[in-house]
Order: sequence, then C-alpha cells, then structure tokens
Amino acid sequence: MHKLIEFIRSTYVFVLFVVLEALAINNYAHGTHYTQARLLSRSNRVVGGLHGMMAGVRHYLLLGSENRELLDYVAQLTERLAEYEDAVSEPTLETVVDEEQKLKYRVMHASVVSNTINRAENLIVLNRGRLDGVTEEMTLLSPEGAMVGYVVDCTDRYSVAVSVLNTSFRVSGKLKDTEYFGSVYWDGTDPHVVTLDELSKYADPQPGQEVVTTGFSRFFPGVKIGVIESSVMNETRTFYTVKVRLEAHISRLSDVLLVEKRDLYEIRDLMDGVREGKSNWN
Amino acid sequence: MYRIVPYILLFVATMLLQIFLFDNLVISIYFNPLIYIAFILLLPLELSHISLLGLGLMTGLAMDSVMGSSGLNTLATLPVAFLRPWLVGLFCNREDAREGGVPSQSRFGTHKFVKYLILGVVLHHGLFFALESLSWAYAWHTLLRVTLSSAASVFFIWLIARIFTAKFSTRV
Repeated sequence: MHKLIEFIRSTYVFVLFVVLEALAINNYAHGTHYTQARLLSRSNRVVGGLHGMMAGVRHYLLLGSENRELLDYVAQLTERLAEYEDAVSEPTLETVVDEEQKLKYRVMHASVVSNTINRAENLIVLNRGRLDGVTEEMTLLSPEGAMVGYVVDCTDRYSVAVSVLNTSFRVSGKLKDTEYFGSVYWDGTDPHVVTLDELSKYADPQPGQEVVTTGFSRFFPGVKIGVIESSVMNETRTFYTVKVRLEAHISRLSDVLLVEKRDLYEIRDLMDGVREGKSNWN
Repeated sequence: MYRIVPYILLFVATMLLQIFLFDNLVISIYFNPLIYIAFILLLPLELSHISLLGLGLMTGLAMDSVMGSSGLNTLATLPVAFLRPWLVGLFCNREDAREGGVPSQSRFGTHKFVKYLILGVVLHHGLFFALESLSWAYAWHTLLRVTLSSAASVFFIWLIARIFTAKFSTRV
C-alpha cells in the first residue's frame, strides 16, 4: 500500500497530464463547428465589447473604400430599379410582394466584429443578435450580394456565423442558367477559391462561367458564389471537380447583409410533419 | 511566491496580443503565429511540475474559449507545459535550473535561448496545425504553415521575452 502511494506520488503529474490530454482530445474530437460557434458566442459576452471597439477602429480606417463600394452598389440598384419600373407590370409585382408581411425575404445589415481566414474552421462574429432580430440560419451576403455564410448561433447582442471558408461548410451550387448542380465546399487551402464537386459530366463548365446557389439548401436561389477558374474530370469520367474563385472578399469583409428566408421554417415544419406522419404509419 | 504581478501582466498581455492583434492579422493562411505560448515558455524555472501543468491547462482553456476552438489549444499547450522541465534541461544543467529565475537570453545565452524557444514553439505549433487539419492530404501545406507561423512566433516571443526580462536582474 505504501509503495502504491509512493508510486502514485512519483507519477501523478504524468498521469494527470495524460488524463487532461485525453479529455482535451475527447472534447476536440466531439467538437463540431456548431459547438465551436456556441463556445465563441458565449465568450463574446466577455470579450465582445473589446472586439467591437477594435472593429470600430478598423471600420473607421476603411470608411473611404467602403463608401465608394456602397455608392457603386447604390448606382447599380438604382439602375435595376429603373429597369423594373419600366418593365414590371402590377400583377407580377403583386404575386411577389402580395402584402408586406408576406415578403419572402427579410434583409438587414450587420458589421463584422471578428473574422478569421487562417484556420480550418473559420467563424465570423457579427455585432447584431437576437434583440436585433437575428435568428439562426439567416444567410450572410457580402454587400455586393455574394454568398458569405450563415448564422449558427446568436446571443442577445452578438451572433456567430459559419464562413464559407470553413471546412465543414456545405452548400449546393449550380452553373448559372443551367440545371447542373454539385456540392460546394472549401478544402482549407486557398482563401479565395472553393471547390464545386460532383458536377455532372454533361455540364461542360467553362472558365469564367458564374456559379450560383440552388434553392435546395438555406440559401435562396441565384445568390452568386463566384466564377469558375478551372475544372477537371475525375478518373472514372463521371463528374467534374471545379475550382471556383469566390466573389466575396472574405478577408476584407467589414459589413454584411443578413437575409432571412421566411418560407424556410414553414417548409421545414412541413417536412418534419411528413416525416412524423410516416413514422406513425409504420 | 514572488513576481506574481508581472506574470499576471504577461498572461494578460500575451492573451490580448493574440486575440486582438495576431488573430486579426489576416495576411495569409500560412501566417498564424500563436504567441500566447510565450507565457508557458517564460514561467520561472523553479516552478513545480504540477503548477506548470495547471497553468498550461488554464492558458489552453482560456484560448479555446476566446478562439472558439473546442479543445485544440489545450491539446497543443498541455504537452509544452508538461515537457518544459525536459526542454529546460536540454539547454541548462539541473543545478542551474534549480536556482530558479526567468528563462532569458542572459540566463541561457542567446544561442541556447533561441533554440529553447524554437523547440517549444515548433512543438506547440506542430501539434496545433497537425490536429487542426487532421489529414495527410495537405501534409506539405500543414508543414508550411507550421514553419512560417513558428518562425514568426519565435521572433515575436523573443521580443516579448526581451521586454519582459529587461526589468529583472539576471538571477532572480
């Protein structure tokens, strides 16, 4: 007994080290981007204010270029609005807008508080939270309207989003003006390029062609992802793997648009209802 | 216990630098220095093994919660804290180490001190980036990240060490 105690005394640091390391490994192995986002949004209660201050300074320094970008964007929108005003007749407008409450999408803007691109699992923290009307699964777009990510967790004043530069991010994308689609993900190397995988062999992707999101996932159809840089056919010649240059500049993102697809919850409820119904029949 | 205040300041300073400066320096995905490990590497030589481990755990957990990486920082920091007595032993004999004091350039000699920093930092960064990518597909890519980030970290930690030890005399 005495010897056992002596032995434990001599090796307890090592044992403790092994135990702690095992706990850390276990925690890391079970961590997903979702748990990471939760962790980050909790710690934001403490450091969020400081982060916000630093973001404010950076924001101030970038005001000039941001202003120019916004003006460009305003100009574009005005142009498009003019087109619509000319071309759109009342009945079609009614079907889209119907009543104010029935707008399909709700849009708001938020500032980026912290953002990384140099990890494998990058997350974006925004300065708006539940009190501002942010909810989980809202879509993040860059000011130019390109895909950036989606919200995974929010506290009262902050929210955390998964960036497209996150190795666990998946979205379905298609070539613009075609119906060929594949899955878009980031391989963790170049922060300007994502991969569009499993694109049908009949699609014939050309460099310069636009890639947009499909309506299958939480992103509404037609959000621009980027343009094709190169493509290769896989060995068995069944599908293409395409490199897509991102439209959004994630590394110098300071403002984003948040878009909520109002139908999303309705569709999901419906699907859940159907699934439950099925299990009831069995 | 002596010099508690300078070490608390060092801890806070490395944390703040890491979170607000280095984590926001978006230069390249190959450049990601993790300078918070300076705190572990600069702890007093006479500190007991168990306190080293405890402080390593604390640093790792703190970084995990602010970076939002579940366990990754703890995973990389604990081995450095655990192996530190051995690391110190490589560059400084036991008698000398038992006398205590801060690991520093004047204490170890410039060459040995830089080697000590390199070894500690590479151990930490190697674990961190290897576990972050968790695949052999990008082995070269990971190696490049470890090399570049470690080089940057060693440089910055060396600066931090100089500033930190400037106020202390060589021995205790």
